[in-house]
Amino acid sequence: MNNVALILAEIVSAALSFILVRFMIKPYQYTRESRYIGLPLGFAFLGISYLFMGFALSSDNINFVEDMKWLQLFTQAYAFAFLATTYYFSKQTLEQKTRLSSHFIFSALIVGLIISCLIVFVPPLFALPSYKAVDEYFKVFNIIFASYIALWTLRSHALKPEPKTIWAPLGYFLLAFGQYCSLIWSLDSSFSAFVSAHNFRLAGLLVFLFVSYKAFAAHTMSNKK
Amino acid sequence: MKKLARRDKMKIYHDILSTIQDEAKRGTIVLTRIQQKTNVPFDRLKTYLTEIRELGLIQDEPSPKLTEKGKQFLGEYEKVLDFMKRMGLTYQK
Repeated sequence: MNNVALILAEIVSAALSFILVRFMIKPYQYTRESRYIGLPLGFAFLGISYLFMGFALSSDNINFVEDMKWLQLFTQAYAFAFLATTYYFSKQTLEQKTRLSSHFIFSALIVGLIISCLIVFVPPLFALPSYKAVDEYFKVFNIIFASYIALWTLRSHALKPEPKTIWAPLGYFLLAFGQYCSLIWSLDSSFSAFVSAHNFRLAGLLVFLFVSYKAFAAHTMSNKK
Repeated sequence: MKKLARRDKMKIYHDILSTIQDEAKRGTIVLTRIQQKTNVPFDRLKTYLTEIRELGLIQDEPSPKLTEKGKQFLGEYEKVLDFMKRMGLTYQK
C-alpha cells in the first residue's frame, strides 16, 4: 500500500473523529456534568493521534517522524483512557464524591498527557525506550480500555435490549479489533493485519457517525415532516 | 427506603418544562401540580421557575407557558438523552 493511501486513511479517520466531537460534546453541554467531558476529549485525541500519524507518514525528516509517532502513541492511549473514564463514572450516582473523583482523574490524565508530550520534545534527560516495544505495550492498554467500554455498553444493552443500543458496543468492539490488528501488524508485519487495522478503525468511526446521525439529524428530519 | 437519585439542574429544568408542556395540553397550569409531578420543594420550584423565565424558556402571561426557545431546549435535551442511551451512557432519568 503506498503512502498516499495511508495518509488518506489517517486524514479520513481524523476528519471522522473531529466530526464526532461535535456530537459527543452535547451530553456535557446539556448536563454540565464533568464526567461526560471524557467523551469529546476521547474522540478529539483520537483525531489528533490520526493526524500525527498522517504527519509522520508524509515527512522524510527522521527526527520529525519519530516525534510524531511518539505523540501519536501518547494521544491515542490517552484518548482511550478518557473514554473508559467517562464510561466508568457514568454508572456512578451524582454525589459530591463522584464529582471530585472524576475531576481528579480527568485532571491527572491531562497532566499526564502534557508531561508525556514534554518528554518527547524536551531535550532527553533520559533515554527513551525503543518505540516498537512501547508501541506494543500501549496497544495492549488500548485494547483493554476499548474492550472494557465495549463490554460495558454491551452490558447496558443486555440489561435493556433495544435495537438502537447495539451500535455503540459494535463501534467500540471495532475500535478494539483495530487496535488488536495493529498489534499483530507490529509483531509480525503482516499486510492483512495492517489493512484490517485501518478497516476496523474506519468502520468503528462510521458506526459512531451513524449513531450520532440517528440521534440528532434523523430526529430533526422526522420532526420537520 | 429507596434513596432517590440526585438530579442535575438541567434535568430539573427539563422535568419542569416537560410538566408545563403536558399540563398546558390539559388546560390551566397549577404550580402545586408542577411541584407534585417534578418532586421539587415549593420554594425551590419558585427559584427554578424564575431562572427558567430569565433564560427565556417560559413566559408567565397568564400562566407559565413554554416559549419557542423552551420548546427547542426540550427537543434538544430529549435528543441528547436519546444519544446518551444509544452510546450506552448511564444517566438518571
